[in-house]
Amino acid sequence: MSKIVILGAGISGHVAASHLRRKLSKEHEVLVVSPNSNYQWIPSNIWVGVGRMKSKEILFPLAPLYKKKGIRYKQAKAITFHPEGDKTEQKPYILAEYVVGEKKGQQEKVTYDYLINATGPKLNFEATEGLTPGLNKTYSVCTYTHADHAWEGLNDLIQQMKQGKKVKILIGTGHAKATCQGAAFEYILNVEQELRRHKVRDMAEVTWISNEYQLGDFGMDGMLLSYGSMTMKSSEMVGMIFEDRDIKWILGVGVDKIENGIAYYENLDGEHKKEKYDFAMLIPSFSGHGFKAFDKNNEDVTSKLFKGFMIVDADYTSKPYEDWSVKDWPETYQNPSYQNIFAPGIAFAPPHAISKPRKSKNGTAIFPAPPRTGMPSGITAKLVADNIIDSIKSGKDTAHHKGSLGNMGAACIASAGFGITQGSGVSITTYPIVPDYEKYPKTQGRQLGKTFGEIGLAGHWLKLALHYAFIYKAKMRPFWWLIPE
Amino acid sequence: MTQRISKYQRFKMMNPIIQFFKFIYLSIKIMVVVAGGHGGTREVKSKVSKLVS
Ligand SMILES: Cc1cc2nc3c(=O)[nH]c(=O)nc-3n(C[C@H](O)[C@H](O)[C@H](O)COP(=O)(O)OP(=O)(O)OC[C@H]3O[C@@H](n4cnc5c(N)ncnc54)[C@H](O)[C@@H]3O)c2cc1C
Repeated sequence: MSKIVILGAGISGHVAASHLRRKLSKEHEVLVVSPNSNYQWIPSNIWVGVGRMKSKEILFPLAPLYKKKGIRYKQAKAITFHPEGDKTEQKPYILAEYVVGEKKGQQEKVTYDYLINATGPKLNFEATEGLTPGLNKTYSVCTYTHADHAWEGLNDLIQQMKQGKKVKILIGTGHAKATCQGAAFEYILNVEQELRRHKVRDMAEVTWISNEYQLGDFGMDGMLLSYGSMTMKSSEMVGMIFEDRDIKWILGVGVDKIENGIAYYENLDGEHKKEKYDFAMLIPSFSGHGFKAFDKNNEDVTSKLFKGFMIVDADYTSKPYEDWSVKDWPETYQNPSYQNIFAPGIAFAPPHAISKPRKSKNGTAIFPAPPRTGMPSGITAKLVADNIIDSIKSGKDTAHHKGSLGNMGAACIASAGFGITQGSGVSITTYPIVPDYEKYPKTQGRQLGKTFGEIGLAGHWLKLALHYAFIYKAKMRPFWWLIPE
Repeated sequence: MTQRISKYQRFKMMNPIIQFFKFIYLSIKIMVVVAGGHGGTREVKSKVSKLVS
């Protein structure tokens, strides 16, 4: 009998837990340890943040589902890792602390045979002074509670605009090394559409602020894509959309401080500037959770497990941008020191960025961190689960399921406005996610055709269809496994 | 405001009939890209050795 512990019940943790439970017999234990009581389909937070969906439509409680499916669940958070056990506990374990109920605050050693760290990112708002969701007129859409607040703030502003107030709206990244530009991109287009729907568009100046060097970088070094019968750069495509929607932009900047209605930033020329706003949604930097790890003698072995995020089978040798290769990227998400520990989704430490690193004249690094979106998070979680299943079934460690971001496609269906007949979406797929300049030297490291962009109503329907399909899948309804990650 | 998307392009982007067919086309195309397999990058690639999860 094996015991598999999964930390986190976000996209990757939940995907791993559900596949493990489906494919392993009941003699094996699957246990999820996560502080959240609800599963949330994060991509639809964009619509919660513009009041077009209620947060209850994008979430469901985990405990009843896990009980029904035979997945054990502790509503607790991991604190420390003990991959060799300790003097009193022979088995490897994690120390977890309950976050609710009678056991709240109690700590417990949770032992495992296999550990999947799917704890995603820490939303590191503290890294930017004054950037706190709901304070200083700044908001976030990274969680459903944040998105609810964002809609309250935006709705309030719309009412003021209806009374004749002219406003400034600022959306983008809130830190010099933030990622997840795609989410902010969706949000700015949705906000812009909602302003038009409420007939107050002419009362607002809408501005995109970002650490990207060019529009459409998305932390992926931009892309060359097929657009209809043309080949276009993502910067041109996003520029076209922004100009058409009268959205201004400020690029290559690191926001470093927020005061009530003022964002302070440094640009690549080293200038320190500020931008006033009445409503801002700025994505914070993402960091690891600051976990510590100890060996059986209680010596600190954090550096064997973590490098901010968790160390996996990537090549972490420091090298210049010109020498980066797809081969640097992990394939099995397995920790090299402790081979029964894995980190899919956002929890693994990337070998380096994807976008070209840039510094301001003052030496401040200003460029996006690499994004790891929902689809690759699900795919990497499933392959980790499959390797564990095969290892358990064969009785020997195997890692033959592989999925490098350099040999995997992703779709980003960015909502550009809600509405069955008035909605719009920007559908972008990239193959591969991390550009492979050896294989595709003439097309910026990606395969044209498989890397394409489309704008239109169908994109909105697609995003809505994915919302329902992925929630159906997450609820483990009949034949859920037929829906791909 | 600069009108970067022409009226005709916009008509095509928002016409439900055209977009219905686009929806089907995009769904298939995205499935091909995303669910079309993945693998490692470090091994010598041949059809036989490429392991797809
Ligand atoms: C607003 C927004 C819109 C997005 N839109 C899209 C989109 O359209 N398409 C797309 O592909 N991607 C999108 N993404 C990205 C996508 O949401 C992420 O890639 C995905 O959520 C990553 O999954 P994950 O499981 O690695 O991390 P998460 O989803 O963040 O899950 C992490 C889990 O770990 C738990 N956890 C945290 N700390 C601990 C601890 N100490 N112990 C145990 N558990 C812990 C958390 O509670 C959570 O359950 C969007 C992201 C945002 C913020």
